[in-house]
Amino acid sequence: MLSSLSMFAQQTLTGIVRDLTAGENLPGVNVVVKGTTNGTSTDFDGKFQLKNIKTGDVLVFSYLGYLNKEVTIDINFNITVNLTEDSQKLDEVVIIGYGTTTLKDATGSVEAITAKDFTKGNIVTPENLLSGRVAGVNITTSGAPGSGSQITIRGGSSLGASNAPLIVIDGLPIDNNGTAGSRGILANINPNDIESFSILKDASATAIYGSRASNGVIIIVTKKGKNEFTLDYDTQYSFGKVTDRVDVFSADEYRAFVNSQPISGTTLDTSLLGTANTNWQDEILQSTLSTQHNFTVKGSILNKIPTRVSLGFSNQEGAILTSQFNRVNFSLAMNPTFFKDHLKIGLNYNRAHEDSRFAAGGIGAALRYDPTHPVRVPGTPYGGYYQHYTTTTDGFVLSNGTTNPVASILQSTNTGNVFRQYGNLNLDYKFHFLPELKAVLNLGFDKTEGTYNNVSSLYGPRSWNTDVNGNDSSGSQNRENKLLDGYLNYTKTFNDIKTDLTAGYSYQKFTNAGFNGRNLRDPNGISDAYAATDVVLIGYFGRANFTFLEKYLLTLSYRRDGTSRFSEENRWGNFPAAAFAWRISDEDFLKDSKVISELKLRASYGITGQQDIPNNEIYLSTYRFGNTNSRYIFGGNPIQSTIPQAINPDIKWEETATLEFGLDYGLFDNKFTGSIGVFQKNSTDLLFNAPVADGSNFTNSIVQNIGELEVKGLEFTLNTDIIKNDDTNWNLNFNATYLDRKIKKLALGQDVTTGGVAGGTGNTVQLFREGFAPNSFYVYKQLYDTAGNPIEGAYLDRTGDGIINGEDRYLKESPGADVTLGMQSSFSYKNFDIAFNLRASIGNYNYNNVNSSQAQLSLLQDNAVLGNIPTSVLDTNFKVTSDVILSDMYIENASFLKMDNITLGYTFDRPFKAFTTNSVRLWAGVQNVFTLTNYSGLDPEVFNGIDNLIFPRSRTFLLGANIKF
Amino acid sequence: MMMKTTFKITKICTLVLVMILSFTSCTEDLDITPLDDQTLLGEDFFKNETAYKELLGGVYANLSLTGIDGPGSSTIQGLDAGTSQFGRVLMYLQTLSADQMIWSYENDPGTREIQRNIWTAQNPLLTGMFGRTHNTISYANNFLRETTDAKLEARNVSSSTRTEIKTYRAEARLLRAMSYYYMMDIFGKAAFITEDDAINSLPKQYDRAQLFTFVESELKEIDADLKDPMQNEHARADKAVAWMILAKIYLNAEVYTGNERYTDCLTYTEKIIGGGFSLASEYGHNFMADNNTNSATNEIIFPLISDGIFTHNYGPTTVMINGEVGSLEANGAALGVGAGGWGGALRLRKQFVQLFDGATFSTDARNTIISGSRNIEITDISDRDTGYILTKWSNATSTGGVGSNETFVDTDFPLFRLADVYLMYAEAHLRGGGGTAAIAAGYLSDLRTRANNTNTISSGDLSLNLILDERSRELHWEAHRRQDLIRFGKFTGGSYNWAWKGNGSNGISLPSHFDVYPIPSSSLASNPNLTQNTGY
Repeated sequence: MLSSLSMFAQQTLTGIVRDLTAGENLPGVNVVVKGTTNGTSTDFDGKFQLKNIKTGDVLVFSYLGYLNKEVTIDINFNITVNLTEDSQKLDEVVIIGYGTTTLKDATGSVEAITAKDFTKGNIVTPENLLSGRVAGVNITTSGAPGSGSQITIRGGSSLGASNAPLIVIDGLPIDNNGTAGSRGILANINPNDIESFSILKDASATAIYGSRASNGVIIIVTKKGKNEFTLDYDTQYSFGKVTDRVDVFSADEYRAFVNSQPISGTTLDTSLLGTANTNWQDEILQSTLSTQHNFTVKGSILNKIPTRVSLGFSNQEGAILTSQFNRVNFSLAMNPTFFKDHLKIGLNYNRAHEDSRFAAGGIGAALRYDPTHPVRVPGTPYGGYYQHYTTTTDGFVLSNGTTNPVASILQSTNTGNVFRQYGNLNLDYKFHFLPELKAVLNLGFDKTEGTYNNVSSLYGPRSWNTDVNGNDSSGSQNRENKLLDGYLNYTKTFNDIKTDLTAGYSYQKFTNAGFNGRNLRDPNGISDAYAATDVVLIGYFGRANFTFLEKYLLTLSYRRDGTSRFSEENRWGNFPAAAFAWRISDEDFLKDSKVISELKLRASYGITGQQDIPNNEIYLSTYRFGNTNSRYIFGGNPIQSTIPQAINPDIKWEETATLEFGLDYGLFDNKFTGSIGVFQKNSTDLLFNAPVADGSNFTNSIVQNIGELEVKGLEFTLNTDIIKNDDTNWNLNFNATYLDRKIKKLALGQDVTTGGVAGGTGNTVQLFREGFAPNSFYVYKQLYDTAGNPIEGAYLDRTGDGIINGEDRYLKESPGADVTLGMQSSFSYKNFDIAFNLRASIGNYNYNNVNSSQAQLSLLQDNAVLGNIPTSVLDTNFKVTSDVILSDMYIENASFLKMDNITLGYTFDRPFKAFTTNSVRLWAGVQNVFTLTNYSGLDPEVFNGIDNLIFPRSRTFLLGANIKF
Repeated sequence: MMMKTTFKITKICTLVLVMILSFTSCTEDLDITPLDDQTLLGEDFFKNETAYKELLGGVYANLSLTGIDGPGSSTIQGLDAGTSQFGRVLMYLQTLSADQMIWSYENDPGTREIQRNIWTAQNPLLTGMFGRTHNTISYANNFLRETTDAKLEARNVSSSTRTEIKTYRAEARLLRAMSYYYMMDIFGKAAFITEDDAINSLPKQYDRAQLFTFVESELKEIDADLKDPMQNEHARADKAVAWMILAKIYLNAEVYTGNERYTDCLTYTEKIIGGGFSLASEYGHNFMADNNTNSATNEIIFPLISDGIFTHNYGPTTVMINGEVGSLEANGAALGVGAGGWGGALRLRKQFVQLFDGATFSTDARNTIISGSRNIEITDISDRDTGYILTKWSNATSTGGVGSNETFVDTDFPLFRLADVYLMYAEAHLRGGGGTAAIAAGYLSDLRTRANNTNTISSGDLSLNLILDERSRELHWEAHRRQDLIRFGKFTGGSYNWAWKGNGSNGISLPSHFDVYPIPSSSLASNPNLTQNTGY
């Protein structure tokens, strides 16, 4: 009797709501008694209290990003509820320009990648996190440690102006230019501090950024402060090795080959051969050991300010001897709110110290140097390193030719040091009297101070045309970027139409100045202080979002941007955009479909602009006078000779118009989600540094608006949770992009040569021509004999005029891939997890500049000494470089399939019983696992298609631990 | 707690307000001005009246400098600074392509093709020459645009400066005409553009006939405004320079236009000779570090400046002095450069050495050849111990000192000098231009006497072959040889073959279209009005 009475007694229920996987308590979770209005939400510590609860009541817990949970109350009135994250990301908040949306409501082409989706592995710089993860986003990294990458979104939209996307960090668009001494603009951001990336691809999403947005936008949001105290420690150790070598003759093979002369007519001085056996590539490459340690503490200061502090240490060795990258990051995020969340303040401050040593030399010399000589010989005048030299009455004279590559690297110390601070203060105020209106003010800054120092040994080799003994110079550079953004946002629902209006203003200023010190060992050296002209960008923007019946979405945006780079007549650009989306799956005929759980059709059109050229004042008439050693002398008196600078007064905005149709889908209750998109971008008034007629300007080449580029593409993304239950999780992401880039128009219909190559003099191997892909290879057609061997210097006379000249060249393929594919998969079973990522590129071609400029027999003679050449020369028996360097046989299909990472981990749940929550995950992985390609060069992934020996990429083995308290 | 929060808020608000004010939105901020200490806005530059001479200095400087940020800088993009230095490339194209010199380091861009006469339109030295010379033209055009009466009025320039500017304008026009003269000689074509055309407009093409007409009329028009011979500051052009260019185009008129103008040539040589010039007391003075102050100032009509302190450039004199130092001899110290120089970069071809054979020339001061134990034959160009060397050029002074810098020499390059005029008189006379044989022989004898050579020339000795040979003896390594050989019909064809001509070790015949160089392919690509020369 009593029990049934107590069953119906109303009591107060207390509880705590937690995230199952992250092990955190969740504040702000909605708790409501199902079917009633009796509800509350959890406090900062995830705790809640509800009165008038009785057994049998069903409580519904809901929280953005998590699956709703219903709990029936039994006799326990103090409960712990675990919520699991909603992996169907459609409700996830996504950052877009000046605001947020959800994937559900997004009308433009936006992809959000959050911490749990990040590519795992040896992550040193932020771009690594996105590698192969997003359709249309292509990231090419150099092998150098901590180095920057080339990122392009949908193939970029420019020819000569930057093709790099706009990168915005916590609302601050950063400068795409690097600083002296630094390895790259993203190099000093700790990937561990990044919460999410939003990739904005189409015009509608990017137009609000107006200028600089033609190539897409990547918005990086760093992790914020949290109230609950947590402590994380992440560490990893990696061991890397370069396994590939370019095939050149070994010492014995070389001796045999040279002694077998005469080699096609030339006689080599065999007395120059030595008796040693040196593999120069082995000598300059090293195995690498790198470490990373990251500490993050989250918690609340004074119980009022959620804070996150992190400290990171990264030490990376590069594959080439002496190459080194060290970084210390400090990051602080504070996110207090006041006046019951009416005023939200976000303060972010980041500091990075970066120390690098750059290897003063590369594989080039290692391929060339005579393998029959040792690395070191005691007693040489060159600090104990072997060099080719002759002794004369006056002393010793360095023989003309390549110098000892190990000596070049070890006898130089080229270091760079960067101190970077960036941060922002974000004030978000919801008006008290009008809560639908909020005002946001964002103040940001990014300041980089870099110094470099290059010193070479006094015993280094000196070339024939200089008296100066080596180099001892240093310099510095300061870059600063200041931003002020302010906007008002009004949301209200009128009848069935949800309205979201935004209007704002943006001001940004970039400064850059530096100093290049003279070479202290050169009495003629001159120091130079320089200051670049400031760049100022001012913008006015507005956006209106209308949602009708939750099914029909319309976004209109407009931005007017002014840049200081163009003259007053050409300064302002107008960038409108419109997008429409239809949530078909919410329509009655599909609402209850079992197959299609999510279907949204998107269409958008917009115009974005580009003005990022290296010259900040090219439209102005300016004059420059010379250094003290660059003066003419009239009547015995030096005169400050002044020359007019190259000028283009008509330079104006490059504009890209993008039209896109997309379909976001979800099948079988969102077991499969993804999107299909088709787009066309037309860039007009392309900014490009193109040759200008001699005599018409003050130089031979100047940045101009010269043409039109069209990019058409198709993107496909698929995400699927193949298995998802309490124990097992298998998730797969697949993306594919097809790109077709074509130059529609060039100024005067004139071709523009580009793509300089090594070997020979002033040769270019690429061309911009109307109707063809940019950077198409421009080569001669090689002729072969009946046995299939190429005939040296024999090219097809396409014009039939009896002369082989420029008119007989033709366009063959281009470095851009037709299709790029990415796949990422992660599988976890209980405490085990395994993840890998694959990338493929199809239809990209490379010009093998190593073979074209080095695999010729006459190069066995390296000026006054003997030189090594690639063994591929035996396939062709070519003699003279200039006869063959422009042959189409060096254009190779460099399609590839790469596995970038594979990691395996095991998580210990609460190994330290003393603390309530903790976890330790140990993991191991391999980076740069394998590459499948038919390309004969060292690595098929060369950004501009001209393979002249990139910094070698190591295969790395990693071990790491993530410890959370 | 509330108070503290309010106080904090107020503090934040004030801070924000201050920050906003410091970032004040001025669309005027979009009007930027150059910040670098060496760059000026045009309107600021012309505020000072000294600007005009400095701007003229910039036009002249393009003859010696490749850029104004040190010897490594270049306003011609895509090339090493060394491949577009005016005097050096002129020297390569006119001297290295013929029988007087050979360059050992054939990996240097473009040199191999020029010295073996196997050049193509892709050659970087040709791109450098075409680009650099047209730079002088565009600087001169800019100078003329900025010094029109209207502009000077608007800027309130004083009348004394305006008078000087008249002379400056004449000099700018002279340098422009001189540039077109070299284009006519080297390429047979040029991109023609004057100050009346807008910047960035497409120049039209002028062929030899049109260039000849222009250069002739231009030099005659400016004659009155130029200073009298030897009356202008050192390094600045005067009437004599204009007369010299006219004399050159008249001498070569048959090559340029098919019609001979030897009488006019003779007239102008007489004008120059009557201008007050006289031979330097010693031949060598013309080629030494102090040739801007020693007796050579009487002989040099127009120098290209080089200076170890103020005018650093990898120009012709820097190259020739460092280059002529022998690989075996290491005789650089006496020449005012580093002992090893450039390890034997420049040597002599056999045919040149043979011009000084015999007792006649054993004491001739113009014979600076060193043979030592060397082989006169050059079978392997890269073997720097073969072939003879010379010591004509020097960075030492006539008083026993050395130049101020071991790498960048003080020695100016005499583009035009009186000895050349003497020889031109004699040649013009022999080709029917007037004058007398006696005077001609007298001039040639003067040159010999000055060179301590007692074997003088009589009227009966005069012959065109003698002139050609004597020009080589007197003017070798001064960027004249190719032009002379073409005029005598001996550059192309097989009538005269020298070591390595046409890439044959004993020389082979060259096809006739090699009498002009090809227009560089990049210049053709950027100007559709230009057409390639026949045969290329």
